[in-house]
Amino acid sequence: MYKAILLAADGSENSYRAAQEVKKFYHEDAIVTILNIIGYADSKSDVLHGSNSRSLERERLEKLSKITDFFNDNNIRYETLFEHGEPKETVVKVANSGDYDVVLLGTRGLNGLQEMVLGSVSHKVAKRANIPVMIVK
Amino acid sequence: MIDILKKEWLTDPKTNILAGIVVALALIPEAIAFSIIAGVDPMVGLYASFIIAVSISILGGRPAMISAATGAIALLVTPLVSEHGVEYLLAATLLMGLIQLVLGILKIGKLMKFIPKSVMLGFVNALAVMIFTSQIEHIFGISISTYVYVAVTLLIVYLVPRFFKAIPAPLIAIVLLTAIYLFMGAEVRTVGDLGAIERSLPSFIIPDVPYTLETLRIILPFSISMAIVGLVESLLTAKIVDDATDSYSSKNRESRGQGISNIIAGFFGGMGGCAMIGQSIINVRSGATTRLSTFTAGTVLIFLIIVLGDLVVQVPMPILAGIMVMVAIGTFDWGSFKYMVRAPRTDAVVMVVTVAIVLMTHNLAIGVIAGVILSALFFATKISNVEVDRTETEGAVSYRFNGQVFFASVDTMMNQIDLDEENKAIELDFTNAHIWDDSGVDAIDSMITKLKRKGNRVSIRNLNKDSRKIINELSMINKEELI
Repeated sequence: MYKAILLAADGSENSYRAAQEVKKFYHEDAIVTILNIIGYADSKSDVLHGSNSRSLERERLEKLSKITDFFNDNNIRYETLFEHGEPKETVVKVANSGDYDVVLLGTRGLNGLQEMVLGSVSHKVAKRANIPVMIVK
Repeated sequence: MIDILKKEWLTDPKTNILAGIVVALALIPEAIAFSIIAGVDPMVGLYASFIIAVSISILGGRPAMISAATGAIALLVTPLVSEHGVEYLLAATLLMGLIQLVLGILKIGKLMKFIPKSVMLGFVNALAVMIFTSQIEHIFGISISTYVYVAVTLLIVYLVPRFFKAIPAPLIAIVLLTAIYLFMGAEVRTVGDLGAIERSLPSFIIPDVPYTLETLRIILPFSISMAIVGLVESLLTAKIVDDATDSYSSKNRESRGQGISNIIAGFFGGMGGCAMIGQSIINVRSGATTRLSTFTAGTVLIFLIIVLGDLVVQVPMPILAGIMVMVAIGTFDWGSFKYMVRAPRTDAVVMVVTVAIVLMTHNLAIGVIAGVILSALFFATKISNVEVDRTETEGAVSYRFNGQVFFASVDTMMNQIDLDEENKAIELDFTNAHIWDDSGVDAIDSMITKLKRKGNRVSIRNLNKDSRKIINELSMINKEELI
């Protein structure tokens, strides 16, 4: 049984499908960590588009609301983790931190076209992570 | 104190020095291109970048942020340089720094929050458009070779980083294409055609302008614009770096540091500058967290210029133009199109008007000020709309007030009250309203006086705490009418 489940999510449809997959092997002792990577270029647009009244943290949480709603509805315990960095390296780094038993991610994220041409985050994570990797189609 | 210094300078020095070197390499083409936009010798921008980077690394509020000569400032000063010459630019830079220093001492960082999002979006988008249009003369109608060099530069800067990130792609484009140019020759203009490179360290000078009121009259408008634009871009960049590094920085210290750095730049023959979003992101992406990275960027830049100055004049202009097109595309906020559809109409209008005014006046500062005023007017219009709902049941009339009651909104509020009511029990319900000032209190007073004159019994309900306080202090109405 996996206890610490890492779900790399960017708010895309694929990452939502990966979240649904978690339900199939989730059990009461487990906790899911939803990892969202904030690219350095995202900082610029997030700060520019962020409103003053609400924190960036909350706006970023909203991007994951579909997944957190799904977890809430299914009584899945979760926490969220926001990390700054390049998506590929950062997912691998967190996955290999020793805190997690398995990592899930969608085949393709928000930036579909680019990844089709140039090799995706999921490919890199599958190659470099030291824990089991589940890539959800 | 010593601990903070150690942390801000000596954490992970190797990564920070390497990041600084990467930034130095990325800064050189931009500093030269921005000098050419301003209409001065490349050295004016290169000295500015060296001095500002080194000085801000010590004095700035935001570790790991990169400040140097920037497009925003260069675009502002073009008319000053073309009409009066570079010495006036240096004098204007001194005054710009002085203004920023004063604003920093007055803790102006807090005022940034009064610049609405729509104006900031207009600012970066107008800046992007202006950087792009400034390159048109270097790209179009010169020669076929010029187009080829621009196109190849763009291919390199967009494709190479996908596979190879250790060296900044603009530098790869410059080295590779300049080598090809030196080897094969081509019908293109070079940096040397537009200005000279001196292989020396900057030295202390006092700008050679007449120190008269006339000079002040010429430079002051430019200095004010430069100071505003410099602070807006610097504090925006600081927020972005804060977010990207999960830390917080002193905006007032940054404002003072920008001021002092520009004063020093002016005394050493450099044009004004400010923080750079693109370069700061390159720095942070390379792992930089400390002041040492910014310091390294400045010193390596001037070292390279002293060593390689002779080669820099050979760099073909279209390569720099291509890099500037990349800078423009990177500066533009592409999410703005979505924003224009989704945001409230008035916000979208403010953004478009900000961009339009900048493009008409060629002055980012005027655009920002106009944008702030316009959005303040929209805000005042929106907030000065108090809604009053009237309901009547068996001789008892109830007015429910919705909104902010203050000097700008009392007229719309009064217009919705029927002052011809007679001999009724009238209840004024303020559950969803807030009374802000004596104009609001006066309006309510006169409303009550007039209604009572016609034999009505008037009572006030559900004032919130602040509104009750101001009514108690300023109003003439009887306390028993307050329920």
